[in-house]
Amino acid sequence: MEPPINDLQIECQVNELLDFPCSIDHHTREVITDKEKPYNCPYCGSKCTVTGDIQCLLEHLRNDHHVEMHDGRCFSHRYVHHNPKHYHHATRMLTLLDCYGRQFCLHFEAFHLKKTPMYIAFMQFMGDEEEATSFSYTLEVNGNGRKMTWQGVPRSIRDSHKTVRDSQDGLIITRKLALFFSADNTNSKQLKLKISGRVWREH
Amino acid sequence: METDSMESSTRSSQNDEVHHNGGTFHFSSTKSHSSAAASPTVVTNIVGPTATSVYELLECPVCTCSMYPPIHQCHNGHTLCSTCKVRVHNRCPTCRQELGDIRCLALEKVAESLELPCKFYNLGCPEIFPYYSKLKHESLCNFRPYGCPYAGSECGVVGDIPFLVSHLRDDHKVDMHAGSTFNHRYVKSNPREVENATWMLTVFQCFGQYFCLHFEAFQLGMGPVYMAFLRFMGDEEEARSYSYSLEVGGSGRKLTWEGTPRSIRDSHRKVRDSNDGLIIQRNMALFFSGGDRKELKLRVTGKIWKEQHSPDSGLFMPNLSS
Repeated sequence: MEPPINDLQIECQVNELLDFPCSIDHHTREVITDKEKPYNCPYCGSKCTVTGDIQCLLEHLRNDHHVEMHDGRCFSHRYVHHNPKHYHHATRMLTLLDCYGRQFCLHFEAFHLKKTPMYIAFMQFMGDEEEATSFSYTLEVNGNGRKMTWQGVPRSIRDSHKTVRDSQDGLIITRKLALFFSADNTNSKQLKLKISGRVWREH
Repeated sequence: METDSMESSTRSSQNDEVHHNGGTFHFSSTKSHSSAAASPTVVTNIVGPTATSVYELLECPVCTCSMYPPIHQCHNGHTLCSTCKVRVHNRCPTCRQELGDIRCLALEKVAESLELPCKFYNLGCPEIFPYYSKLKHESLCNFRPYGCPYAGSECGVVGDIPFLVSHLRDDHKVDMHAGSTFNHRYVKSNPREVENATWMLTVFQCFGQYFCLHFEAFQLGMGPVYMAFLRFMGDEEEARSYSYSLEVGGSGRKLTWEGTPRSIRDSHRKVRDSNDGLIIQRNMALFFSGGDRKELKLRVTGKIWKEQHSPDSGLFMPNLSS
């Protein structure tokens, strides 16, 4: 019996990531504020059809998807995956970042790109594209004398998670390279990827 | 039994214990001699001119390679290596008699005590090895000449670094640059043609050393990619004193790679397959090219600098080629 794929976890926390089946599939909370069109829930996984304004979605993400929220413009996460061979379907991780009075989604995902196992990390802005382009972010991964840095512009959550992922608009590495970054003296083929980064306002 | 005192360097042979006792060698085999009363065999290691003649006896008459166990012989005593034996259809190539299955164990055993200098002694290697470990050393010997680092063809030229630099410049027409920073634009008008790998090599001279910057398009499992990486013209140990960075960008996005140059002892293919460099998918490269994104116009900037990685910096190089 193979262990579940979902042992992808942020190392500093003990809780396990479960591919949360959204139990609110058919429950749409629509609160239309001003002239804003409601946003779709940015939780990676198209099963969730919740829509709402940013505040509602934040609550929804926290309460229903149990997404962590971190304060500040800088972050550093360690993604640990004990059995990177059990890669059969995508494993994802979402964290929220709160800074500049706004919120950002940090996505980390394992997926296959034409049969090659890859990891991607990217940021999305909880708001519209116009405001999103006023920010920039970096993601950095290092280990074993190598460092890779991605600098980009957060995509608005108007773009679905899948759209951003498939456009490869983020830090993207092969599993081979990810394991190399994770390597230590124990010779275990475990993923221990440390990703750090920051967000800043360009103008 | 009288023992001779001989001055010879001690070299413990791989399979057996060698006892050093004031210049003589007591060779006690752990394999044979069931009788406890058997007297110890006294053997001296074969060195010098004698070694050369014995070494020549160990050369296969057919392929001229050094013979390793099992070594075969015909009824008349002509020797043959096991690889060639398979190919001669049971006829001794020296006397044309029928071959049979005779093993020349005595020669195999004599080889054990044979000591020879590394074949790169004239390039500076001071070491001496027993026959059975010489070949392995020579494949890793630091004094061995380097192979031509040109990617894309199986160029078999070997030599030292200055020789190879001239060879790259004159025979492969490679661009040479002085300095430790670079700014290249890679242009390809039909980026759809990434079927076969296309290579580009530039040589940089800085810090009194030479570096090879490779830029390449090839198919990875995930589709067409471009990869850029640096190799150091020298050994791995010295390569670790340097670092390099490569950067591509456009439209508010930027990808930076920082790493340690690999030694040219690692083949171009090995470094490429280990993904140890800046890799971008073709789509992203086209995105960075700007314009209508149909033409590749990728600007790659970078620099090389001297940085000593301390042994405790946790540097661990797993086998990337697996």
